[in-house]
Amino acid sequence: MTAWTLFYNPVLLSSGAVLYLVLPLLAAVAVIYKTIRTKNIRRLWLEILGLILYMYAGLAALCAALWLLMRYWK
Amino acid sequence: MASERKKHRPLPLVALLMAWLVPGAGHVYLGRTVRGVIIFVTISATFWAGVGIGGVMTADYQNERWWFMAEMFAGVHGLVAWHRHNQVQNKVLGGEAMRERLSLAQADQKLQEEGVFLPYPSDTVARAYAGVAGLLNLLCAFDAVVLAMMGATGEPPRTLRRRGPAEAEA
Repeated sequence: MTAWTLFYNPVLLSSGAVLYLVLPLLAAVAVIYKTIRTKNIRRLWLEILGLILYMYAGLAALCAALWLLMRYWK
Repeated sequence: MASERKKHRPLPLVALLMAWLVPGAGHVYLGRTVRGVIIFVTISATFWAGVGIGGVMTADYQNERWWFMAEMFAGVHGLVAWHRHNQVQNKVLGGEAMRERLSLAQADQKLQEEGVFLPYPSDTVARAYAGVAGLLNLLCAFDAVVLAMMGATGEPPRTLRRRGPAEAEA
């Protein structure tokens, strides 16, 4: 085996890191969605930021709801 | 004037092919250059982030066909990743006839020895990134085709400011 090479050898991730890697993927989805949907290109970055925050807030609310369910469900 | 406009009407098939092959090129073809550049940068970065995490075995058409199909929607990026995957697989496992003789465990063993075996959970993240990039490009290609069918080129006109009562009276 040769030295580790980018785009050749995989990065070994821990299970905990997987959850955090959802966040950049959501940001990419927000950028593409708003890029094709927005009417005014000047407001694009503002709209992208709004959608990213909206998605993160939704994800956080879902996490909180599931945590509460796990914690208090008899 | 009308005939001149008709002459420059974009062709949906050209928009589709361009948008698939190079992410964002369909929008550039329709005169939406800024959007095209943003699409290209975002889809390329997402796809290659996936391949960066998963390595050369990310675009695996034998074991992960659904993800592979999604990755191929990323156009030239998907094709390059597939080509590299084939090159490395042929080098490590041998040709088609040689590969058929190997069991799955033997093939995995050989890939591990080469250091390219893609384990869990890296495989999930890598294929999600590359696959989602492909699916986002599919969305962009669909948008480019619809815009071309509508004959819409360039940025949409800015909505007119609503006139206040004083302006309306004047």
